[in-house]
Amino acid sequence: MEYDVIIVGGGITGAATARDCAMRGFKTLLVERGDLCDGASGRNHGLLHSGGRYAVTDREGAEECIRENRILRRIASNCVEPTEGLFISLPEDGLDYQANFIAKCREAGIDAKAIDPKEALRLEPAINPSIIGAVKVPDASVDPFRLTDANVLDAQRHGADVLKFHKVVSLIVEEGRVKGVEVLGHNDVSTKKIYAREVVLAAGIWTAALAEAAGVHIGMMPSKGALIIFGHRVARMVINRCRKPANADILVPGDVVSVLGTTSDKVPLETCDDMHATPEEVELLLREGVQLVPSLATTRIIRAYAGVRPLVVADNSGDGRSVSRGIVLLDHEERDGLPGLITITGGKLTTARLMAEMTADLLCRKFGVNRRCETAEKPLPGSDGRKARFEDPVEQRAAIGRHGGEVSKMDFSQGREVLCECEQVTRAEIRYAVQHFGVRNISDLRRHTRIGMGTCQGSFCIRKVAVALAGELGDPSLADTFVKEYLQERWKGMTPVLWGDTLREGEYMHKVHSL
Amino acid sequence: MRFDAVVIGGGNSGSAAALALVEAGLKVCVVSEGLSLGVAGSAPASIATQQNPPYARLAELSAKGATVLRGDSAVSGNWDGLKLKSVVTRNLADMPLEADFFVLATGKFFSRGLLSDMEKIWEPVFGADVYFTPGRETWSDPDFFAPQPFMKFGVLTDKEGRVLFGGKPAENLYGTGEVLAADSKALDINKLISRYAGK
Repeated sequence: MEYDVIIVGGGITGAATARDCAMRGFKTLLVERGDLCDGASGRNHGLLHSGGRYAVTDREGAEECIRENRILRRIASNCVEPTEGLFISLPEDGLDYQANFIAKCREAGIDAKAIDPKEALRLEPAINPSIIGAVKVPDASVDPFRLTDANVLDAQRHGADVLKFHKVVSLIVEEGRVKGVEVLGHNDVSTKKIYAREVVLAAGIWTAALAEAAGVHIGMMPSKGALIIFGHRVARMVINRCRKPANADILVPGDVVSVLGTTSDKVPLETCDDMHATPEEVELLLREGVQLVPSLATTRIIRAYAGVRPLVVADNSGDGRSVSRGIVLLDHEERDGLPGLITITGGKLTTARLMAEMTADLLCRKFGVNRRCETAEKPLPGSDGRKARFEDPVEQRAAIGRHGGEVSKMDFSQGREVLCECEQVTRAEIRYAVQHFGVRNISDLRRHTRIGMGTCQGSFCIRKVAVALAGELGDPSLADTFVKEYLQERWKGMTPVLWGDTLREGEYMHKVHSL
Repeated sequence: MRFDAVVIGGGNSGSAAALALVEAGLKVCVVSEGLSLGVAGSAPASIATQQNPPYARLAELSAKGATVLRGDSAVSGNWDGLKLKSVVTRNLADMPLEADFFVLATGKFFSRGLLSDMEKIWEPVFGADVYFTPGRETWSDPDFFAPQPFMKFGVLTDKEGRVLFGGKPAENLYGTGEVLAADSKALDINKLISRYAGK
């Protein structure tokens, strides 16, 4: 079998690229070694940037963000919560930065409006009362899992194939050209070869090793970012610090929780498979975070986690200083004399659609076809304006909010009972995730339904959920293993923040679940 | 209000101690905030609470004449040197509970018998001596299913079960149950009864 395009990496970039390729009529395959969003796409802020954060330092990045921000609100309305954002100035920040910030935002086309600090405190009573200035910008909260799922669903509806739990072990290089990938499935003992006219690497930080194996060097610099999740929403808007971007200066509300981040530290490539926040990172985040919102000091911490930004060292600069956070599209035929291989990396969650468009445009040129990109106009599955109404059965409302009209594919006649109380996930939604996303365990289920992502993090519901999932998978004996794996994974996020209310919860979990 | 004994905490250990004291004829008050997880391994507090021994015992205590202050918690003590005269509860701020002796049975972290921040762990009612290891990275085991070090932390007592303050035992404050550090000597309730019942 031969594809036009094989895309390696099931994060938001790969998913968006698969969608665009499929919509342009290419026979497309998306390969992912684990589940969708296993890497950085599942370990970030969930922030839909207005571009404000980059306005002063990176005009191009800021312009990309605000354009994509507007597009995603339209094409992914069920993934975006239009919270808006504030950039607040504290006394030590001064107001000089703010003046420049507003000017630069406006140059980039970002609607930045200074508001009176008193007005800001009225809008957001939790923010630091000593603020001397505030600017309102069109930031928003976005669910990266749902956005990735929607892109993958749409790619499939346009004919793309998706191969999850298949690791690309090498690129097939024959006659001086990349001709496909060799993959190994999780349950397989031998590899298989899949051929394509072009292979696109969209594997985040893991791209470097894949390219290296084909003899191509991409200078990547893994930049670790740690984040903390708090047990409820302490603010309605995204709260940013109005100063030169630094550590822990963004607080993003997401569904029923708040996420504070992030740090930025260079880490060795070989550590990227096992990322976790350290106690030092947690202390740094909290120290800075309470400057934004003082009550974070006493808000229950749910857990801490970390992801890796795939930063690219610009070509011709070996010292690692010239690092771009912008979009990097590499045509390896042109760059390295290796046809059949393209890399798309760098960029942000917010700009993934644009990255996909640039990649698909390049593919069109290579294939000598002229097909227009339609991803900015056509809404994603679930972004159909279907909102929960009063007449909707109460157990379906949360699912409608998450999946829009896609709920019509869920069978509530068999399984209307709510299993996850925090996020209101029913058995019907679990069955939908099993059928449409090949869910194998509770961590997968979490990514596709938000099960266990709420304030109790599964403490109360996890056994019920495990039994239901094992039943849907047709093997009830799996339930115990599901519970154990899930609790162990959660524990990893709790140990760096195990004091106060989190330690109370730790004792509870340990007593109820470890015996 | 004056009692022979005030038991602080109505969970598994507190309710068991209180029941033994009541059955020995002592006038007992139990302060129970109601945050008990019950008996580990049986139904958790969130479901079927009446099936859990401590909840059943609180009802039995009331029936046998003990004063059970439900939904209340001790906030501080009034001391004469190392002798505890009375405890003040949240709901009865102007009516300290006086007694010949007191039993601390407030449990560990979940029931707030022990509080913690990033650096330390303390006992909030009296500020008793608490065993814990320095550095919070030592408090937990990365394996969730392994015995967790934080479950060993707790209030220190002497071999009579008396709570320690700066290494010295209080005269009439005893500790029992999960609030105590692991390897503490179990409180001998019969010894307490023979000591105080005759008075």
